[in-house]
Amino acid sequence: MTGRVSPLALSLLAVAGWMVSLGVVSGRPELIVAGLPVLLLLATLARPAARPDYVIEQETGTDRVFEGDEVTVTMTVTARSPIGLIELLGPRPAGSVVRSGRHRAVMTLGAGASGRASYTLAFPGRGAHDLGAIAIRVRDRLGLRSWEHRHVDPRPLRVFPRIVPLRHVPRPVHVQASVGDYVSRACGEGIEPGDIRQFAPGDRIKQVNWRASLRLGQLYVTQQHRERNADVVLMLDTLAEVGAPSETTLDLGVRAAASLATAYLARKDRVGLITYGGVMSWVRPRSGAAQYERLADALVRADVVFTYVAKDLLRVPPRVLSPQALVIAITPLLDRRFAKAVLDLAARGFDLLVLVVSPVDVTRAALAPTPTADLAGRLWRLERRADLVELRRHGLRVIEWRYPEPLEAALADSRRRRVRLAETG
Amino acid sequence: MIRLVAALAAVVACAVVALASPLVAAPGLAVLLPAALSILARWRWLAVLAACGDLGVYTVALSIERAAASPGPALALGVALVVFLDAVDLSARLRSATVGDGVVRSALVRWAALGLGAVAAAVPTLAMAGPLAAILPVAASPLVAAAGALASVLILAALIRRAA
Repeated sequence: MTGRVSPLALSLLAVAGWMVSLGVVSGRPELIVAGLPVLLLLATLARPAARPDYVIEQETGTDRVFEGDEVTVTMTVTARSPIGLIELLGPRPAGSVVRSGRHRAVMTLGAGASGRASYTLAFPGRGAHDLGAIAIRVRDRLGLRSWEHRHVDPRPLRVFPRIVPLRHVPRPVHVQASVGDYVSRACGEGIEPGDIRQFAPGDRIKQVNWRASLRLGQLYVTQQHRERNADVVLMLDTLAEVGAPSETTLDLGVRAAASLATAYLARKDRVGLITYGGVMSWVRPRSGAAQYERLADALVRADVVFTYVAKDLLRVPPRVLSPQALVIAITPLLDRRFAKAVLDLAARGFDLLVLVVSPVDVTRAALAPTPTADLAGRLWRLERRADLVELRRHGLRVIEWRYPEPLEAALADSRRRRVRLAETG
Repeated sequence: MIRLVAALAAVVACAVVALASPLVAAPGLAVLLPAALSILARWRWLAVLAACGDLGVYTVALSIERAAASPGPALALGVALVVFLDAVDLSARLRSATVGDGVVRSALVRWAALGLGAVAAAVPTLAMAGPLAAILPVAASPLVAAAGALASVLILAALIRRAA
């Protein structure tokens, strides 16, 4: 705790000095009399002051929320000695908005009394924050001395990206050996009925199709299709971003990744993540609810780190980027290095889907509508259309997501496109 | 509420100055402008400047009038200036903050106590000043006054330094 003289004491000293000087120069005793209250107040500084004794407690409702959710922070002070004035400055992490109440509180407390202040913070964007630091300033009864202290009680808060429920997600070409939601053509253990064939030694009685057996006079068994899962690797472009804070192309990409991860994990698939940018990191594909926590943690921390270095995907271990995996590259395609990495993956035979978060719409949403901005946006869109055509020419599946169009609609559009392509041969 | 008290203190201080001499009524009231601005903007430095300006005009008024010393208005001016500075400082601290119930009440009690304390200190001081002035030789009084002023400011500065 740091103690010091308050700015008020210095102001009073300045005024006292001025009063006394004027009194001496003018020779008028009234100025000395006028200075008496000031001198009297400042003379109390001769008395040693005891440090204020108090206890601070802090409560935060939760340690994890989704974007747009609110967190209520409550600060409670219990005074053990009289406190003239206590100022509390509660945590307000960057990017958060005070929705109700105020994060500053001022109160006067007698010995044994307690005061409470609470406020609500809203988090429009994802992030990892700490709500555990309160700055405290205590003043004595006359306001001439102050003590400053920083109360630290770590309270991490993770703001997860918003998830959109997806009914249809891109299907992988390859499936894995574990049980999942994809019905395989091969027969084996499963619940989806397949062909009927004659009973053979080794077949179990519960597989016997009694209706067919009675009709045909021989034992027949029903075979089931195997149900398999798949490996899905989400590759997030963190090389560059555009747009207003909390609505940048990276934020939208992170939300898309979180939504896709949730949808695939619900289908019992193994989902992994590669953040491809200035700092490259990855999460090994796994399934289950715990995996969502790992992916969300990585997505919360995903940020653009500028670099001139082009990262090589060969650094990623094969157990993370398995050749049988469906790779969904989520990118605004602002940096050529990511397009090059995607083409490299396609050349290596990966099952690849490119989800392009259109930066044109995001940028135009952040700008005031002017004829120049409109023209620039149209030109940029034409240029990008040519880029996407070029990518498709290399055989890549490319989906363009134009925010605020729902992600589900963009993915559905891709399915329709595939069906049309299949119909036309 | 706090800003209202600050405004009231500023008006009292300017009124004391204006009443001291009608000749300085206009500059005395002009000091209200920076005082009002400091209350609105909650700037401490401007409040100090306004207080110093007010004292300057008061000195000019006393020098023009050359009337017999009247401690009452001077004491009122001193208390008003302290309340004004404290109120502006407090209003700056309360800005954008949730204010507890006892804060304003505690400030009002403090200022009332300050006024009473100032009166209580002034009465014996003035009572002692008369006999002391009779003892001191007239030629030495300016030197004694200057030395006393210097000593009091230095003592205060030392106190502040020690407290810091």
